[in-house]
Formats: sequence, structure tokens, C-alpha cells
Amino acid sequence: MPLKREAGWYKNAIIYQIHVRSFFDSNGDGIGDFQGLAQKLNYVQELGVNTIWLMPFFPSPLRDDGYDISDYRSVHPSYGTLDDFKAFLASAHERGLRVIIELVANHTSDQHPWFQESRSSTSNPKRDWYVWSDTDSKYRGTRIIFVDTERSNWAWDPVSKAYYWHRFFSHQPDLNFDNPAVRQEMWNVMKFWLELGVDGFRLDAIPYLIEREGTSCENLPETHEVIRELRRKADEEFPGTMLLAEANQWPADLRPYFGNGDEFHMAFHFPLMPRMFMGLRLEDRKPITEILQQTPDIPASCQWCLFLRNHDELTLEMVTDIERDYMYDIYASDKSMRLNLGIRRRLAPLLDNDRRRIELMNGMLMSLPGTPIIYYGDEIGMGDNIYLGDRNGVRTPMQWSGGPNGGFSGADPESLYSPPIRNPVYGFQAVNVLSQERFDHSLLEWMKRLLQVRISTPVFGSGSIEFLHPANHRVLAYVRQLGKEMVLVVNNLSSSAQAVELDLRRYKGNILIEMFGKNIFPRIGDLAYLLTMGPYQFYWFRLRRI
Amino acid sequence: MAEETLLADDFLRQLINVGEVDILVGLPTHNNAGTIEPVIRAIQAGILKCFPRERTVIINADGGSRDGTTELVTRASIDDMWNASKVYALRTLHSISTQYAGTPEPGLALRTIFAAADLLRARACVVLSPESTTIETDWLQRLVRPVYDDNFDLVSPIYRRQKFEGVLMRNLLYPMTRAIYGCRVREPYASEFAISGRLATDFLNREIWNDELGRDGAEIFLTVAAITGQYRICQTFLGTKVQPPRSAPDLVAAMRHTVGALFSSLDGNFSFWSPITGSQPVPTLGADSEVTVEPARVNRKRLREMFATGVAELEPVFQSILSASTLSELQRIAQLEIDEFNYPAELWARTVFEFAAAYHRSVMNRDHIVQALVPLYRGRSLTFLLENREANAEDVERSVESLCGEFERMKPYLLEVWADRK
Repeated sequence: MPLKREAGWYKNAIIYQIHVRSFFDSNGDGIGDFQGLAQKLNYVQELGVNTIWLMPFFPSPLRDDGYDISDYRSVHPSYGTLDDFKAFLASAHERGLRVIIELVANHTSDQHPWFQESRSSTSNPKRDWYVWSDTDSKYRGTRIIFVDTERSNWAWDPVSKAYYWHRFFSHQPDLNFDNPAVRQEMWNVMKFWLELGVDGFRLDAIPYLIEREGTSCENLPETHEVIRELRRKADEEFPGTMLLAEANQWPADLRPYFGNGDEFHMAFHFPLMPRMFMGLRLEDRKPITEILQQTPDIPASCQWCLFLRNHDELTLEMVTDIERDYMYDIYASDKSMRLNLGIRRRLAPLLDNDRRRIELMNGMLMSLPGTPIIYYGDEIGMGDNIYLGDRNGVRTPMQWSGGPNGGFSGADPESLYSPPIRNPVYGFQAVNVLSQERFDHSLLEWMKRLLQVRISTPVFGSGSIEFLHPANHRVLAYVRQLGKEMVLVVNNLSSSAQAVELDLRRYKGNILIEMFGKNIFPRIGDLAYLLTMGPYQFYWFRLRRI
Repeated sequence: MAEETLLADDFLRQLINVGEVDILVGLPTHNNAGTIEPVIRAIQAGILKCFPRERTVIINADGGSRDGTTELVTRASIDDMWNASKVYALRTLHSISTQYAGTPEPGLALRTIFAAADLLRARACVVLSPESTTIETDWLQRLVRPVYDDNFDLVSPIYRRQKFEGVLMRNLLYPMTRAIYGCRVREPYASEFAISGRLATDFLNREIWNDELGRDGAEIFLTVAAITGQYRICQTFLGTKVQPPRSAPDLVAAMRHTVGALFSSLDGNFSFWSPITGSQPVPTLGADSEVTVEPARVNRKRLREMFATGVAELEPVFQSILSASTLSELQRIAQLEIDEFNYPAELWARTVFEFAAAYHRSVMNRDHIVQALVPLYRGRSLTFLLENREANAEDVERSVESLCGEFERMKPYLLEVWADRK
């Protein structure tokens, strides 16, 4: 049964990002699958999230981990069947878990039948489904995204003897969204999955749908028209469907993607994430508060999506050169950790496996304005493998136990889609779900408590934010408010204990109730409110007037 | 550790907010609004350009300015109250001002700055003069880098000066410090320098702060402390230094702060300096001392008169301080017309050493001893000006070097008169 889709459900969502291939292998072939994922839904439910985001699971040559789709209406055979997907979806919904899936709309695999037809002749009806040119000199003002591997956004097709446009890998030709037939077909794809019951889509690489000469070919007005058309159809036929934009842009450039509440419901806040890491290492809130102050207001029905880590590199496109150099030096001293303009590492290794820093970063993720996303495995502090190519080092098998293959699969280790992490610090024998479920103080159990508090406090999902500016710059403090509900969040970004005086006079008369231990703190008066905080400590206080 | 009463509660509260720092930039001020703006701009630019990642704070120890000096300093803060017109910075920069207790005294300001450096565990503490209007963005880096990157403990400045500026430094402070302590620090009394955190902490805990002379001559004592404590010392070339115009420079006060402090430092360090012969150069980064030769107006006649008058009027005082032969020689010089006037280097070194010994023996009030040296210094200054009237930069340096050699050669004489009770 599809879950009832109340308006704005996504604002109080906590999203868990999963790659089917990496989560659990039910049939012992070394590759995760939908039946395996369905078996682990209890775990997902108990973790305390309420939404699952599935990375691409469609038929694909897998030259870009599924972001090169060759069939939009089916399931990659390695992951199961469409019926397996349906069973998984029903089981998730039974548990109150919503499911959002990927819509890689900008491009297909070069193996997709549409492209095969398109390249077959200039007179083929699908010729105009892609962007073809006799020269590679059009759209010269367009940047190259995968600078490490691509030299041009045009690739020569020897079959049709013409160049085709691609913003990502050359095996991923861009669809031509100027063609109404393409737009209609993309809606048909969405409709197919919505009829099965999915709750929303993450639209990949959305700024690049349309090309125009003399522009950067990003964020064009015509792209917004395409989005509005898809949104209107979704609203009309499947109300409550959530559309999430993946657009790695500055906040001001992202703002148009919310339109007047008639484009995307949510968009990733890319520039915030590296600045959280930067603020932590600088022990200075400035990078965080600055980017949030530069973040424009968005329509009331819209929401930012926040994350610490995901399946891609920690992108450093939306930072200054000074900031990028700093991030590289601090977080990727080994050059093999760097990829494109980013850092291909997981959360725990980035934070030197420091439990206090991991907790603080998750605390901020859950309390800043937006819908948080947890990348699978980060809830137990999984490590990465920088010796695997591309971004595969952060896509290794989920570590369920200390048993063979980390409990991920019964297959021979050699046949796993990826070697599991085995090193003494992050290997599955040291870091796994089973062992962490046995102890209350494990990271996993701590995360469950954090999510429980977060999800039971709607002010985090929908409330306003007001930054306090204590003179101690190592402390990041803000008040979240929704109606009469107010929560004070105080984060110590420093590795040492700090004293901080907060100007809370406008909340005078309220007492503070610490939200994890429920202990009462002194009433706010006329004087500055003094708090002392341990290294990397954070507080969430509910303000109550009693 | 700093004394509890040294820092005002409000200042302490601000330091708590700053927290541990890598670099502390100290600015001692008192009514410097007229000159401090380029200094502040250079500091801020120097931090952003050369130390964008370091935790840095500007600490202004003010003696009670009423001309808006402190407001100009605090305006250099960079915080997270976002404003598009502000300069870009990776991290927060606190620029805070405190008014130290007591009357305006550079020593009290330095003590406050060092106490802050100690509390904030600064790796490098750099002090800059609010009157250095010729400051460049690179000054900060040139002073800090040797401490920060190469573990020096004291970075002393070298300037490009007009040949008749810094006469006291060239004719007394440098030659005597060099001869006594065996270390060629060109500016032993510097208003700009950088020190390591460990030297700041060590120096803060010294007894010198408890008396006026110690506070007034803190820069001299700092140099001496670095030498005698065998801290790593280097010099760095900064650039042009121009003395700010003052209505009436108080030479007596300047001599008390500098020469008095230098004489005083000899008392407690006898076992260190007495066996030293000759001198050693200190590592120097960038150019060595530079001299410019723009013309300067000097009233030579008045200098000669002041010298002659001093020699005559202070004869009873000199009889307690100087040997008979030295006094007799000075009296002879005092009779010379300006064209033949010459206060030779050997006699000058002997004079200074006899004064130092008299100071040590406290043959009279020590302030009076230093005061009595003032007219004689004027005589020596006149000789320096006359000798170098047509000199080029190299000639001036040769003259200074020659004088230093004379002080070093005469050092055994100091040891001789040091213990002489007669």
C-alpha cells in the first residue's frame, strides 16, 4: 500500500541513502539485491530514518555505477526483478518508510536503445533525442565537469559520423530536452515508477538539461520550463510526489530551482557540506554561518537537503581556491584521496575516526535547517578504500557482522562486486552492525538516539533559524523556532573545552531542558547565559516557559 | 603565569572568546589615531595574505586614548556577521582592545600583550609600533616567519634609516650591547619585534616589571634576556623607518629608558657578560642595515654649546663618575671650536664604560648618573654628525663598525673599573 503523502512530508524526513548493490546480497552471487535490501528493512526502520533514497538500480553497463542507464523501466538483473522491487517497496511502506529513486534525466548510457537508434542514421525518428553536431566547436563556454577524464563535452561517434554532446563521461550522451518527445517520454518514465508507488525522485544533474550558444549551458530558463512541466504533471496526477534536485551550484544559483514553489520541493545544499568540515577543522563557525547567511529564503513549501557524505566525492566545486587548498591539505593529504574537484572519502576517515567529531557533525546535520541524509554505513563509522578507482572506495559492501564478507554476502570473497574493508581500524571485524547493536554506547546506538530526538522534534524539519553570534567564534549557536516551539542548539567546534556567553535575553524567562538527558538548566535572565562545553560537545535545549 | 590582577575582567572575557592562537599581534598605543590606520591595514592584509589559516589575534594594549585609537583597532575584526563589502577571510579575526591600569607606559602595554600571549599560548607574538606609517604588508611575515617556521625566539628588526636618525642607537646602544653581550643585534631597543611563546612566557615572569625602569626599558631587557637566556635570535630587514615628528623629543627620558636599562641589565648578568670577548653576528634575513643620505638639518652650534655647558656645569658630578684623565680630556674638547671639534671613539667608549661602572656602584642617584651622560652624548652626536656630514651609506656603516670595534677593544677597561671602589 502506498503511504499517504501529506503535503510537506519531506520536511520531516530523515533520508537514508542506499545502493542496492552494496547493502545485502540475498542470493550469494556477491552483489546486493532487492530481496537482500527487503530483508534488512527492520534495520533501516530501527535506525530511525523514515525515507530511503535508492541509487540507480536500472539496467546499465555500469560504467558509472548505474548513472549510465540503458533501460528506465526495469531493474538491473544483478539486483533482482521488477517484482522484487515491488515487494521491497511494499515492505518499506508497511514499515512507514518512504522510498525515493533516481531519475537520471540528463543523459543515458550510450548502450540505451534510444541512443542506438539515434546514432543509426540522421533520419531516424530518435535522431533528435540527443544533441548532435557536425563540429565540436559549439557551446564553447561550457565547463568540463569530469576534468580528470574528459577533455571535451563533445565526443565523436564513428557510427553516425557526428559529434554528440555529453556533460559527464563520453559514454553518457545528453538527452535533447528541447525535443518535446523526450520531455514526454521522461514524464512517462516518472509515471511508470509513480504508479508502482515510489514517493519521489532525486533528479540527477539537473542544471544541464538544455544547451544554448553563448551561455554556460547551465541553469538556463528553458531548463526551468522542463522542470515546471514535470512538476505540474506530478502534482496533478500524483500529488505529494517529492522532487529533489541535484544541482551542485551556489545557493543563489540554486534558488531558481525552487521557483515559486512550482519546481523542486528540495535541493541539496552543496556549499554547506564542505564548510561544515572546514569549520570543524578551523575550529571556527565562520564558514558555516557565512554560507547559511548567503543562502536565500526559499518558498515555504520547499526545503534544503543536507548531507555530510554521499556516494560521490566530497565536492569542492563550491568553495574558493583558498578554501579548496585548505580542504585538500587537511582532509586529503594523500593525493590519491582526491578526485576531480573533491575528496573521495567517507565520514569516519575524514574525521580521523574521532567519535566526538563524528557525533558533533551528525548533531549539526540533524539540527541545521533542512532534511538530513545519512549515507549507508556512516551510521556505524565505516571506512573507505582509496585504492579502489573512481568513487568505488566509498561504495564498498555494508558491514553487517564480523563474519565472512562482513555478513554482506555468502559468496566467495573473490566474487564480491567490491572487496570489503578489511583494515584493522575500519575493517568489518572491527566495525559492524552486529557488534554495535550489542552496546548502548556504540556509534550506531548513539545515532539511533539522535535520530529519535530529531524525528520527534518537528521544529528541526520546519522551523526557522536565528543565529546567535557569541563572541567565542568556536561556538556555533542558533535557535530553531516553529510556532511556540523553540530549540536552542549550541555546538563547540573546538577540540578543547570552551566557555561561551550567549545573549538569550529575548528568550528571558524560559528554562532550558537538555533534550537527550531531559535535565533542567537554569532559567534565562537578563545576563548573558554562560555555558561551558567539552571538546566537540553539542547541546540541544528545548526552551520552555514554566 | 600572568598575575591575576594584571588583566581586567572584560579583557579576560575577550581572551576567553579568542582562545588559543598561533600568532598574536600586539599594538601598544596611546592616542595614535593619527598614524595607526595604515598600521592596522597592513596588519590585517598581512594576516590575510600570509597567514590565512593561522589562528591570529590583534591585541591592542592602550594607555587610555581619547582620540578614537581603540575604535580604529577593533574595527579590524573579521567575524561571521556577513557583509558583502568585507574582505574575505578563511577564519575569524579578533581585534580587541584593552586599557591597561595605570598611567600610559609602553612597558605596561608590553606586559599586557605578553600576558595575553601567555594565556592564549601564542606560538609567535609580534609587536608593532602604531607610529610605523611606512609599514608594509610584508613586515608581519618577515617578523613572524622566523619564529613560526624556523623556531627563532627573538626576531629583531633592521631598518633603512636616514643617516642621522637613530644616532643614540648607532653611538651607544648598539655598540655597547654588542661589546658587553657579544651579540650583534642592531636594534636592541626595538619598537617592532617578534618573539616566541616560550620567550614571552619566560620574560613575563621576570622581576623587571615591578619597577619603573624595568617597565620603561622593557625592550632592552627583552633583548638582554634573549641573549643571556641563550634563546635563538635573528634579525630581519623590514624597510624604511621614519621617526614620527614630535614637538619636543625628551632626550633625558629616552636615555633613562634605554641607557639606564642597559646599564641596569649589567648588574644581574655579570657572570654572563664578563668573560665575553669580541662579538658574534646573528643570522640576518633580507638586507643588512641600510642607510639613506637625504640631507637633514642639524643645529651643530647648539649641540656644541650644550656639550660645553654640560661639561662645565656638571663638573662636580663628573668628578664622582669619571676618572680624572677622562674628565680632563672632555674639558679640553669642550674648549674646541666647532670646526675642530672631535669627541673620539676611544674616549667615548671610555666615558660610557666609566658611567656604567658608576651606575653599578651607585655613586649617586642612578637617574642622575644617566642624566649627566646626556650632554656628553650630545658631544658625541656632534662628532658623529661632523664625521659623516659628507659620508655616503658605506662610510656611515664603516664609522659605526669602527665605533663598535672600539667598544669591544675597551671592554677590559670596563671590567677594570667595574670593581674599582675608589
